[in-house]
Amino acid sequence: MTQQTVDRRQFIVSVALAAGGMALGIVPAAARERAGAQGPWATDDPGATELSPWIEIARDNTVTFLVPTPEIGNGAMTQAAMNITEELACDWSRVKVEFCSIRRNYMEHGVYDSGFLPFFGGHGTDKVRMHHELQLGASARERLRTAAAQHWGVPLATIEAKDSLLTHTPTGRRLTYGEVATAAAKVRLASEPKLKSPDQWTFLGKASPSKLNIPQIVTGKAVYGIDVQVPGMVYAALKQSPVQGGKLKSHKPEAVLGMPGVRAVVVIDREKTPGTPVPGKATWGYSTNQLQSGVAVIADHYWQAKTALDALPVEWDAGPGAKWDTVEQIYGAARALHDRPGGKVLRESGNVDSVTDGRTVQGTYSTPYCENAAMEPLNGTAVVTKDGAEIWCPTQDLLQAYWVAIDESGMRPEKVRLHECYVGGAYGRRTQADDVRVVIAIAREYPGVAVKTIWSREECFQQGRYRTPITTQFKAVLDERGYPRAVTGKAVFVGTHPLFQLPLGYSDVPYFTSGIIPNVRLSAASLPVNILDGAFRGPCYNSHAFLVETFIDECAAAAGIDPLEYRLHLVSRWDKSWGDCLRVAAEKAAWGRPLPPGEGRGIAITSWPNGAIHNFGTIICAVAHVKVTRRGELEVKQLDYAFDCGRVANHDAVRAQIQGGAIFGMNVALNEQLTVKAGEIVERNFDHYPMLRLGDKLPQVNVHFDALSGYKRWDIIGESPVGPVGPAIGNAIFRATGKRLRTTPFRDHDLSWT
Amino acid sequence: MTAVRLRVNGAEHEVDADSSTPLLWVLRDHLGLTGTKYGCGIGECGACTVHLDGTPVRSCMLRLATLAGADVVTIEGLSDKGGHVLQRLWAEMNVPQCGYCQAGMLMAAAGLLKRNAHPSEDDIDAAISNICRCGTYPRIRAAILRAADAGSAPEAGSPEKS
Repeated sequence: MTQQTVDRRQFIVSVALAAGGMALGIVPAAARERAGAQGPWATDDPGATELSPWIEIARDNTVTFLVPTPEIGNGAMTQAAMNITEELACDWSRVKVEFCSIRRNYMEHGVYDSGFLPFFGGHGTDKVRMHHELQLGASARERLRTAAAQHWGVPLATIEAKDSLLTHTPTGRRLTYGEVATAAAKVRLASEPKLKSPDQWTFLGKASPSKLNIPQIVTGKAVYGIDVQVPGMVYAALKQSPVQGGKLKSHKPEAVLGMPGVRAVVVIDREKTPGTPVPGKATWGYSTNQLQSGVAVIADHYWQAKTALDALPVEWDAGPGAKWDTVEQIYGAARALHDRPGGKVLRESGNVDSVTDGRTVQGTYSTPYCENAAMEPLNGTAVVTKDGAEIWCPTQDLLQAYWVAIDESGMRPEKVRLHECYVGGAYGRRTQADDVRVVIAIAREYPGVAVKTIWSREECFQQGRYRTPITTQFKAVLDERGYPRAVTGKAVFVGTHPLFQLPLGYSDVPYFTSGIIPNVRLSAASLPVNILDGAFRGPCYNSHAFLVETFIDECAAAAGIDPLEYRLHLVSRWDKSWGDCLRVAAEKAAWGRPLPPGEGRGIAITSWPNGAIHNFGTIICAVAHVKVTRRGELEVKQLDYAFDCGRVANHDAVRAQIQGGAIFGMNVALNEQLTVKAGEIVERNFDHYPMLRLGDKLPQVNVHFDALSGYKRWDIIGESPVGPVGPAIGNAIFRATGKRLRTTPFRDHDLSWT
Repeated sequence: MTAVRLRVNGAEHEVDADSSTPLLWVLRDHLGLTGTKYGCGIGECGACTVHLDGTPVRSCMLRLATLAGADVVTIEGLSDKGGHVLQRLWAEMNVPQCGYCQAGMLMAAAGLLKRNAHPSEDDIDAAISNICRCGTYPRIRAAILRAADAGSAPEAGSPEKS
């Protein structure tokens, strides 16, 4: 550990921790308000301000935390603040949070850089960063206590720190944190304070505060990317090749340049990308976010830009993607790969070819293209001059966005300023920064003026980076008891990029890894297509969960064994959590209690992100109770979830993520699919892409905390619930109707029964 | 371009914009009221819900030309400093996730309570057709029911969650 004194006006001590930095400073409240006046982002001028990197205590006792994690709806920002608050012992009602400056991180050599994916929106309880945040809070608290002891000339042990107050316990004298912060910042500690053990926590795991930005959300004041206002700002409406991979052939700007408010028509072309001038450090690299050929109209107002774009004559060269007449043709080509050699073997044990005797269960299970459909359409605002670039955007990953902005502007990193806004949903869509690249590319063509580019909803649908469709052929040979002696799986990913061909939820499932099935061979191949796939809440896991858990349910049915009992056996050689989650969810859902005809319960269990590591990730089980009328109308009456993420830091936040994830995953299973015509995505808005609403008889979603193992981890929650809900509903439909659904969406199936 | 006079959140405005401009973009681009959100542009999602003459409407479907003399209330004008019972319960019950759709949800819910102070679950489900991709529907319903139970002015601050 090193210490240094930073000589700035009111800015005091900087303690460099292992993987980043901390500083405690005091700033006048007015200065703080100016810094954060326009949006939720922090100032990003190191050296030009007295503000400190992580914790700022204002004279009025307001505590501001500057955090690296975006806020995409899961409360990662609030969680970071909770972590610091636990040790700082500050008054939660006076806590504010802002997004740190990623440029400052670069220029100050990683002051915010700690833990796994430090600038990613999904990890509020990352182990390393959580520890760092606790240490920051403890370190600041001890400096404040020391300063108070020095102020009164009393022993340190007599000072209590609580709720942003320092009390001299023998006399009851008090000082606020704000009153001593300046002095505290001059304190040097002989050593960093020891942290409380988790069982001494009074806030983490105990309190369930609502997200800190809700007061802004409910008054319309929260600044999402689309809400950014920059003086002199103009607007751009965007159209990229409707067949992904196609190219702009011709367009006639003169046809629209005379329309009201229109300023320019610009072309988006990846040949113009300058590239980063220094070696880049983008989280996910640059290959997933290259420009797609397109055109944009820039005007004084968005409606003018959109109106002119709609009137702009454009011709496209569709390219090779046009060969796909229908989406069925694509899926057919993927299924054809099941019978061809050459797939990559992901897991192999025993010898599946040696097992020939026994009852066989075989089927092909598939998931379709889906669109992330975040409610905030893709957007961003940028100004590019010869001296630098500045961008305001709702990204899921600041580091990725920053380096893509550098790559597309060609500017050196210190000349690129990027301001994080609130994110109006993302579910993976805003991880790769392809949106940021387009925003910069357009602004670069209209230099010196801030340009806000907004994708229309139709453009979002046509230019998605869609859920990777997967089709898997499974075959099991059952032993005399009915359990698999051998399982063969052949998965085919539809898409080109290796980053989105993840085996999570497939080759890491304990059924296949724990040895309970002696002979296993799981392989994967991929089908190149023009349509771009990407991250979709729990990438690939959201498909594998359905494919695997439907297949296993079919095995149980073929064996004539209760699906709960069947799974309990298949997880019996792995972590106890799996059995606990199954048992708790089943018991709470009254598993086994008789139901009237046309009703059924189904069960499924999954884990994110990797089931093959002991005591890792979130194991999660769902039981669905459905009712299907004879005419085939489906109602999901109830969902019961049991899960194990180790421990829970904010119970209500976890409950909210599971409730919401259940409905998200249910919509995926029941409703969602994109189709293709001549290489283009057909569905372009919510009128052709049904979304569950309050009027759709939504199920009661019960979240049970009884399967928590207490193992010392606070693992991620948001992705996990989308896994088991689809197969649980599908398996329940089978029990209710006798119909086995091997593909989603379920609305495509005739569920009528007699 | 024609100048159209309308009242927004109690203040008179004269908007000089293309007459085809939807109210949504009048509010956002011309009046700087960005609390009202663009979600679909075709009246499907409800993110742009505002009150027109006291009734919830999809502002993306209303053209400026038709709005002379209209009285519009947006999320910014729903209450003074976020004091509407629904706003308070939304925070207390941790309703929003990403929050982007919630201005529209709140305007739809406030409109419902205005015409039906004690809606049943079915009334709520029938009245609110807005889309929330995060899936906050159960909490939205619970918060509206609690607002109805509480009458017009419940005490804020109860720590109870749904």
